[in-house]
Amino acid sequence: MVTIEVNGRELKAKAGDMLIEVTDEAGIDIPRFCYHKKLSISASCRQCLVEVKNAPKPLPACATPVMEGMKVFTRSPLALAAQKGTMEFLLINHPLDCPICDQGGECELQDVAVACGSDASRFVEGKRVVPAKNIGPLIATEMTRCIHCTRCVRFGEEIAGIREMGATGRGEHMVIGTYIEKSIDSELSGNIIDLCPVGALTSKPFRFSARAWELTQVEGVAPHDSVGSNLHLHLRSNKVMRVAPKDNESINECWISDRDRFSYQGLYSDDRLTVPKIKQSGEWQDVTWEVALDMAAAGLQEIGEGEQIATLVSPSSTLEELYLAQKVTRGLGSNNIDYRLRQGDFRLDGAEPAFSWLGLKISEIENLNAALLVGSNTRKEQPILAHNLRKAAVSGAKVHFINPLQLELNYTAGQQLTTPAGMVQSLAAVAKALGATGEGAAAKVIDKAVADDDAKAIASALKDADKAAVMLGNIAAAHPDYSILCVLASVVANASGATFGFLAEAANSVGARLAGAMPHLLPGAKVAAEKGLDVMKLQKLPRKGYLLLGAEPGYDFWDAGLTRNALESADLVVALNTHTSPALEAAADIMLPIAAFAETSGTYVNTAGEWQSFRGAVKPLGEARPAWKVLRVLGNLLDQEDCEYTSSEQVRDELASLCEGVMPDNSVGKTESADLQSAVDGLIRIGDVPPYALDSLVRRASALQQTKDAAPAAICINAEEAKKAGLADCDSAVVTQDGREATLPVSIDANIPDGCVRISAGLAGTETLGAQFGEVTLEKA
Amino acid sequence: MNALTNYFKSLFLLELFRGLGVTGRYLFKRKFTVMYPEEKAPVSPRFRGLHAQRRYPNGEERCIACKLCEATCPALAITIEAEPRDDGSRRTTRYDIDLFKCIFCGYCQESCPVDAIVETRLYEYHFENREDSLMTKAKLLAMGDKYESQIAADLEAQAKHR
Amino acid sequence: MNTIEVNNKADIFSTEIRGEIDQWVAKYPADWKQSAVMAALRIVQDANGGWLTTELMNDVAAYLDMAPIAVYEVATFYSMYELKPVGKHKICICTNVSCMINNSDRVVDHLEDRLGIKLGQTTEDGRFTLKEVECLGACGGAPMMQIGKQYYENLTPEIIDSILEGLE
Repeated sequence: MVTIEVNGRELKAKAGDMLIEVTDEAGIDIPRFCYHKKLSISASCRQCLVEVKNAPKPLPACATPVMEGMKVFTRSPLALAAQKGTMEFLLINHPLDCPICDQGGECELQDVAVACGSDASRFVEGKRVVPAKNIGPLIATEMTRCIHCTRCVRFGEEIAGIREMGATGRGEHMVIGTYIEKSIDSELSGNIIDLCPVGALTSKPFRFSARAWELTQVEGVAPHDSVGSNLHLHLRSNKVMRVAPKDNESINECWISDRDRFSYQGLYSDDRLTVPKIKQSGEWQDVTWEVALDMAAAGLQEIGEGEQIATLVSPSSTLEELYLAQKVTRGLGSNNIDYRLRQGDFRLDGAEPAFSWLGLKISEIENLNAALLVGSNTRKEQPILAHNLRKAAVSGAKVHFINPLQLELNYTAGQQLTTPAGMVQSLAAVAKALGATGEGAAAKVIDKAVADDDAKAIASALKDADKAAVMLGNIAAAHPDYSILCVLASVVANASGATFGFLAEAANSVGARLAGAMPHLLPGAKVAAEKGLDVMKLQKLPRKGYLLLGAEPGYDFWDAGLTRNALESADLVVALNTHTSPALEAAADIMLPIAAFAETSGTYVNTAGEWQSFRGAVKPLGEARPAWKVLRVLGNLLDQEDCEYTSSEQVRDELASLCEGVMPDNSVGKTESADLQSAVDGLIRIGDVPPYALDSLVRRASALQQTKDAAPAAICINAEEAKKAGLADCDSAVVTQDGREATLPVSIDANIPDGCVRISAGLAGTETLGAQFGEVTLEKA
Repeated sequence: MNALTNYFKSLFLLELFRGLGVTGRYLFKRKFTVMYPEEKAPVSPRFRGLHAQRRYPNGEERCIACKLCEATCPALAITIEAEPRDDGSRRTTRYDIDLFKCIFCGYCQESCPVDAIVETRLYEYHFENREDSLMTKAKLLAMGDKYESQIAADLEAQAKHR
Repeated sequence: MNTIEVNNKADIFSTEIRGEIDQWVAKYPADWKQSAVMAALRIVQDANGGWLTTELMNDVAAYLDMAPIAVYEVATFYSMYELKPVGKHKICICTNVSCMINNSDRVVDHLEDRLGIKLGQTTEDGRFTLKEVECLGACGGAPMMQIGKQYYENLTPEIIDSILEGLE
């Protein structure tokens, strides 16, 4: 520690810290543009010049390390003159078009210009103009306003891991941009909007629609991935105008993914359900809530037998909604409730961990020395976790993937590319290389496995690491042999001393278990005496009545075709949804509009097991009501006991008391069945869910749907397999799965292993197909 | 003593006659009265009457939806909605001034960076319906088109004070 | 990673060019391949008739495992790299302080008159390109210009005429 003096105030500081870090900590304001606490130091803007005693000239606070006895003056005449001079230079080429600039009112340049600028410029020469380039549907550029702080360039290199922007040219001709016309494709790209201290990079969907001073800021929690990034929702006249990150050092630092930032657009899509509707002789009719709820309650009571009722809930629902949904379902005498709509294998039910989680805190990921991710495209699925993993990899961690598709990564990692059945073998080989034997089915699989060099490399990386982790991702969860993968991953983790964890799919996947939204678990993740049927069986053995909560048939289920058949044969389908779609309208009998993200209060439990509650920020659109209220009234109409809640907090507190003492736990039991359901003779479909097809909201976020990551459904296949299938030079092909067909364009993709064809799920055009992972045949269209 | 003086003053209606004296004096002086509406009082170029929105000589509307007028309006009389126009420029889709709220302070005109919103010399107007009190964008632009020469001259005249 | 994916680096450039670039790469530590970017760009530019296309820059990026934008940054920073086609003889006239004091304006005017083009332009026959550059470090012989790899110093209109006539 050293002692320095700033403006006569004595401060303690860590030796080697930069002056600006110390003054920021102490709340002493120094103007700056290029300095950002999460980025490297470039000292290019020179706005943070301060006077240091015995230094001949003013020094930049962001690049001056503190030294014992240093005397600093941030507001001395010399410092102020230096700051004023810098500001005059910065404004030489700035257009001062604040009235038409979206940054106006929240602009760092405006603020600093007012604080230490002059009222008139002495510059009489012409200002330069930089033509704007289109860098994609999310970010609007106006590079004439750029002051060359290079925050966006450093963000790309250091945080996003893709160097897409740079400073080309020299001197007055220096331009920040992409040089060639290209879109910025990073899944974290939206953060450069926040980073840009001026209006050079602004949000395209938000463009010109509101001013900073008109907006009200409310806190929220991101509704998509399982990270639970903290958000600031910016509202104007009861509308979410934009979303920005809220700093939370232990979760999302100061970043959020593009999905969390731009998905709010889906709230105002034309597909929003705004009035309760009932289907009468095939026609949809708008009705009042009383009529719709009475009909739903009467219909459910008419079914009579509890086990004929199934409740399928989306893991993006809040804790309160899930708790009440299971309460209503169990009140009807049914244990048939499940949230695992995209899980491909339920053989492990009962032996799998009740309160499964990431296994470590999100902020601990960056300290890992080795990691093995099985069936995970974490960069697109949980971008903030992937950012942490990248930090670990960049500082030397050995990261390995076992996946059925080659990922585009922004760091060096080992990738084992193999078929779904091969994934099981590969993981078993790692277990074998670690000398583990396993029990039950795992023992049989490990026994047969051959520990090759790849497996040995992964095994030694995990074993030698101080801190290692084995994690299962979304692709693993949807894998037809998830049970075996889960057991094997647990064996590998135990044998190597690594932490075992789950990269949960949706905002409340972990919470759903605590809320008891599972056929064999009661609230508080307690094992139920009577077990219901899992989501797969509930569709294979169709029920008479279905209650859907936030789940969209055709897009949110593992086997879209199976779901359609099950819902079609049902007597009653009550759908509590935010949005409608042709598939939902075909399947449902009653549609109840519920409040979407930002419209309802609630709680999400993120993948690290943290409970985060939030309030409703805006009123629900139209007649829509928060789902917890709808479920509560439904409970009342069904004459259920203890269903008299007056606030969502009451529901949460009741559940919290049931969850008291429940600790996260990832211990996996054993499974006996070693049949490889993923072993098929022909081609197997890889039905991953693209990041912008995850849930109802993001599927309707128009700007995100124009990005590269939102490519329309296609048959992605490698050149060799395409040749074998006779599709080498086809534009489109007919894909057949479980007797159902779809015609899709063909795309030759070297990232797909032999024997596989990637047809992503959750996209328009795939509603008719079958399982996310299942045998398919291809034919020329 | 004082009470006595007051008593006599009121007894002889002294105050009344003094007042009548003033009346009588003015009866024969030159008249100030303006015979409105036949006659009209002179209006200053800085008069703050009914609002108008201006255009550039090429017909392009001046308003760029910066919303400074909305922010500065002390009576919260202005409501603006904006979005990118087809050519990508920043324009209002809605610009309403509620004349029931407006206090004609002229701050909107002062805050406008492009001299788009101005207050004209017009003070003779009426509404027959409640909703007519809303000056919409179309009405404001029509006002601007009609009185542009007067507005331009007035702005020129007061330029040295701004 | 953030670089251009190429299946086989042997597909980029001819054997000779690769050989030359490899010589430069060998001068730096193994994990500092990008240090050879300036040399690589120069070699590629010379082989392409004196200018660089975006594709060539992408090739250099792929060959040296760099992000393409990092190569664009280098190529646009230095005036020695040309991003548009240039004439056979690139005439670089220094207009920096020393040359300016020694009347480089007259040099510029004379060349512009004689060739019938302005600074930054190329003659129609594609023989000459005029380019204004910053100090080339020959202040002792100001005013000066560079044609190809040759410096010409203490210029007067007559000297310039004789130099130009001496060129093919």
